[in-house]
Amino acid sequence: MHNYFHHSKDDIWKSLIQQVFDDLNAAGIDILSDGQTRDPFIQLFARKLKGCRLRNRVEIIDDIGYSTPITVDDQRYIKSIIPPEKKLKGVITGPYTLAKSCIDLYYHDEQEVAFSFANALRNEVEELQSSIDILGIDEPFFSVSFPEYAQDLLDILTKNISLPTFLHVCGNVSSVTPKIFDLPVDILSHEFKARPDLFDIFQDYSYPQSLCIGCVRSDDIRIESVQEITSHIQYALSLFGEKIQYLSPDCGQRSLPRDVAYHKLDNLVQAKEALNG
Amino acid sequence: MFSFTQKQKVFRIGGISIGGQPGEYPTVLFGGVFFKGISQLEEAKKNLDCMLELSQSTHIPAIPDFFIRYEKDIPSIIDFIISELPSQHPFSVDIIDSHLKPQVLSNLAKHDLLNRTIYNSIHIGITEKERKTLHRHPPAMAIILAFNPKDNSPDGRLEILENSAHLLNKGLLEISRDAGVEKILIDTAAMAPGENSGAAIAAIPVIKEEYGLPVGCAIHNVVEKSHWLTSFKKTIVDASSNALISLFGGDYALYGPLTLSSSVFPVIAWEDILISEYVENYFGVQPSNGHPRKRFFP
Repeated sequence: MHNYFHHSKDDIWKSLIQQVFDDLNAAGIDILSDGQTRDPFIQLFARKLKGCRLRNRVEIIDDIGYSTPITVDDQRYIKSIIPPEKKLKGVITGPYTLAKSCIDLYYHDEQEVAFSFANALRNEVEELQSSIDILGIDEPFFSVSFPEYAQDLLDILTKNISLPTFLHVCGNVSSVTPKIFDLPVDILSHEFKARPDLFDIFQDYSYPQSLCIGCVRSDDIRIESVQEITSHIQYALSLFGEKIQYLSPDCGQRSLPRDVAYHKLDNLVQAKEALNG
Repeated sequence: MFSFTQKQKVFRIGGISIGGQPGEYPTVLFGGVFFKGISQLEEAKKNLDCMLELSQSTHIPAIPDFFIRYEKDIPSIIDFIISELPSQHPFSVDIIDSHLKPQVLSNLAKHDLLNRTIYNSIHIGITEKERKTLHRHPPAMAIILAFNPKDNSPDGRLEILENSAHLLNKGLLEISRDAGVEKILIDTAAMAPGENSGAAIAAIPVIKEEYGLPVGCAIHNVVEKSHWLTSFKKTIVDASSNALISLFGGDYALYGPLTLSSSVFPVIAWEDILISEYVENYFGVQPSNGHPRKRFFP
């Protein structure tokens, strides 16, 4: 009889999450995550949602529904190993991005797909609430096409949720301002390093959300120096002041080599500490 | 009993054909040798002869599957293959330790045996060294183990073939073809009870319909892990479990140790005849000349 893995599958995933924690913690990051180690961000959720079938692209073949917690076990695990003073951000892929990334063989209606994902993901958010400190929602597709029902979609996810909520939209969000400011989230997170033109655009508006400023690129292996990051943050502070509550990489660091990703984080933390004196 | 809409590939090795539509070619039976090590060579020879005799009398093709666990066993097993198997008869090598795989391939190449070799198996644990050695010494045929640690459904097995569930940079099918292996058998990776073990059977028609490749599995693994069966006659369960493979359209079975041969071969021959009768009448699928139905009912 073959045992295809010598160790249990759980042990393997836990060791990968531990690796993520080790790097984030060693770099001095305050808000940690599980690193979404199991899958790319579309497959991670589609794999466990009813109605989705994983092929080269995810296919929707039936009613989308929630059957089992998706990321909760991983969040609980990382919560159990992080120091109490650190916070944990649980990230879910947004319903619109899921809808745009899947092939719809069932509903034949993008809006219906997006709302079905939102309703299913609401269950995941409720399951996650007690295990995380911050809820992150990834909606990169908002910068490509912004649906008129975006607010309703995010309402489903964030209504009566007591956690601070991040909305991360990478890419060029200039075309979706000021609509993005109407969304029911607490913090907006964007790629200010790759797209410095966003500084001018965000300066033109007033909005209720706080900002998370992207400070190092996620699509470039060049490691930004502490000085360069410090200047970037200083410029952001000169424009937005206390609106800035968080500093982060521009986006997820999946495509970067591990050592490069680590050094970018390390320099980011050093830059923050230099500014804090 | 059914027929696939996807054109079904048939691969030949040493006079044995594997694949095709249900009822076209007999189910090929792979019997395990040396799973407990190479200490009992005489016993292994006796069991091997028994399997080959049963193959002749039932007209079900037989291929011995040699477990190679330790480096020190490689020369003895190769000697056994050369001396005890009829020349040109195919065999498979089943190597769990990834470090041993390149050594086994190199030794098979040195003894000019690769044209009879079915490599068992290529899976998501493939190493760079294994890829390079496969490219240098491609076996005549390889089994891809469609085990997906992320998803044990039939769809998960397709995913591992297609894109390795993003655990590797390519899908296992592409990796195998890149390594120069064109004759590919799919093993649907039978898991322990409680780990969606039935999916190994359910995945057989799914994968055949998707790729048209020969598909089978080692359902014996599930029987062996079903410890509650210990107080019953397990050989009956083993034989009937293997029959599920061909009933679901499969082309081959890794049926367990050679000691099971006497119960498995007659069941599979009987079932192949049953399937052939139906699919010829309904779909017009003709059995090949070597098929037990042709041989028993000429």
